Amino acid sequence: MSDNVTPTTGAPVYALQCQDLKKAFQGVLAVAGATFDVPQGQITALIGPNGAGKTTVVNLLSGMMPSDSGRMQLVGTDVTNWPSHKIARRGLMRSFQLSRELGGLTVLENLLVAPKHQAGESLFNIFFRPLAVRREERENVERALETLKTYGLYDLRDNRARELSGGQKKLLEIARAVMAQPKVLLLDEPMAGVNPALIDRIGEYILDLKASGVTVLMVEHNLNVVEKICDHVIVLAEGRTLATGKLSDLRANQDVVQAYLGEVINASTHG
Amino acid sequence: MSAFWYYVFTLVFFLFDYFILAMGLNIQYGETGILNFAYIGFVAIGAYVTGAASLPNSAGTGQQYIMGWGLPFPFNLLLGGLVASAVAVLVALIALRRLRTDYLAMVLVSLSLVLYDVINNYVPLFNGADGLYNVPQPMAGIFHLTTNSFIPFFAVVTGLVALLMWFIMSRIMNSPLGRTFRAIRDDDGVAGALGKNPFGYKLTSMIIGAFYAGVGGGLIIQFGGSFNPTAWLPGETFVVFAVIIVGGVGNNVGMLVGALLVETLLIHLPAFLPEIPGHPGLIEYIDTMVVGVLLMVMLWFRPQGVVPERVRKSAGMLADRARGRGRQLTTASEGQGKSGE
Ligand SMILES: Nc1ncnc2c1ncn2[C@@H]1O[C@H](COP(=O)(O)OP(=O)(O)O)[C@@H](O)[C@H]1O
Ligand SMILES: [Mg+2]
Repeated sequence: MSDNVTPTTGAPVYALQCQDLKKAFQGVLAVAGATFDVPQGQITALIGPNGAGKTTVVNLLSGMMPSDSGRMQLVGTDVTNWPSHKIARRGLMRSFQLSRELGGLTVLENLLVAPKHQAGESLFNIFFRPLAVRREERENVERALETLKTYGLYDLRDNRARELSGGQKKLLEIARAVMAQPKVLLLDEPMAGVNPALIDRIGEYILDLKASGVTVLMVEHNLNVVEKICDHVIVLAEGRTLATGKLSDLRANQDVVQAYLGEVINASTHG
Repeated sequence: MSAFWYYVFTLVFFLFDYFILAMGLNIQYGETGILNFAYIGFVAIGAYVTGAASLPNSAGTGQQYIMGWGLPFPFNLLLGGLVASAVAVLVALIALRRLRTDYLAMVLVSLSLVLYDVINNYVPLFNGADGLYNVPQPMAGIFHLTTNSFIPFFAVVTGLVALLMWFIMSRIMNSPLGRTFRAIRDDDGVAGALGKNPFGYKLTSMIIGAFYAGVGGGLIIQFGGSFNPTAWLPGETFVVFAVIIVGGVGNNVGMLVGALLVETLLIHLPAFLPEIPGHPGLIEYIDTMVVGVLLMVMLWFRPQGVVPERVRKSAGMLADRARGRGRQLTTASEGQGKSGE
């Protein structure tokens, strides 16, 4: 039996947990004690005003930068200050707020980089186990082409990734992360700057990922989207967790409304 | 053999040798993004080690050096490459672990200056500032080669070595490993977030590139029979950079074209031209300037080089499987030739 469904042992029903995470840049506290849990198999939104530290939290959780203090757990394993590649190999993938495609590689190659522990990444295997390398590569190419079809990028497969439009790059980042078969997916504003039709499509993709068992934590400004697809919300303000819960509960929370939601809720519900 | 053919085969030798050197720097810089400003140091290590391993015991030779095993070709060459790779591991552990690209470049320049000073001043290692000389001509005994026939013979041997190393390099570059190198070149943060350990792959790339540098150096000392500090002034690194930038970073055919244009035509051919009357040695300075100007013109007008990195198309990946075993050679000759864009 898997140990991740027995709450009595303290084993994770949470995919991610962080306690009192702190990170300062030149003395400015970007994250000033973030504490929250991300439930497994659900979609959680990370919201908060600009500069609240959301991206920094994503950077800490994915190991892109070390935290100054605090602890993080990924599916029950303490991964505090692990380097990003080790965290990734444990099943956490992420996208970037400002798309970071591998520009010189083709769209297809961007996906082909993603699978973990490829036989063909070893010099020994390339020359002494060429058949195993080729077999695995064939499987990966086929799966990557399928994934590109799903995300509507198939026709662009042979284009260099730097040639894509902003929206296409957002899709590519998600497709690339999915290609790595993540357990946990962190999305940093996956819908920012894309057209409304694409926003709906990306929302569908995220719901599909949830249906296939992936835990999603997404930074999102659009509260309509949050309302539609997210199960939980974490509110971050000035680097601290201000509140967590369901969006409907948070609307009733006076602190939250004052600190952040007020204007946004009013703006978005009027629209 | 007439002086003309002597010149021609000397040029052919340098063409193939710099092809090898360019492939080594290309995997480091062009594929993996490591700005290795110490590259010529690895060439020198390969040259000295190959030379010292092929020379007889130093007693009575009038030179001081380590090894002196009389090691025959190609084992001496292999040893030169392997020692260069081993030094690359040390350099990577010192410099490659944490430093950003620009700092890394500075550290590598410093390391190459230190290496230069140590080798040229610590005489017991490789005979100090005099360098090694009287290095035996490989296989001359077996094939009854004379001083004259050795030149074309060894130019051809170098061509065969280059062909083998091209085959190996194409295979690496077209593998998932090569793809991961290019991912790290484009954005090592993203590669890390995808579960690739950037340091591990940069280390691998350094080892491979240094092996090519070492072999290229080992061929130089065996071709000329000697090697000394004037052969590897730190600025020589930039000649190899010029070769790969002019030829087209990321493309092996580009490496050959770059070696032809920069090393053969600009660096070595002028040495055989008549002196400008009244200005002895001027030509040598002019050719360095011409390389510098060519580099700037290329970076300005055609930064992707004469033969740009090719786009690896999905149809090619699918067709490769069907062709099975013959695939690497076909992709190397046919695929690399396509200029992409
Ligand atoms: N690499 C960095 N260097 C310096 N300051 C940074 C850096 N990254 C973020 N910050 C600062 O930290 C604060 C939080 O930024 P960020 O995490 O990007 O917020 P959000 O994603 O919520 O808009 C901001 O004040 C920002 O200017
Ligand atoms: Mg942000």
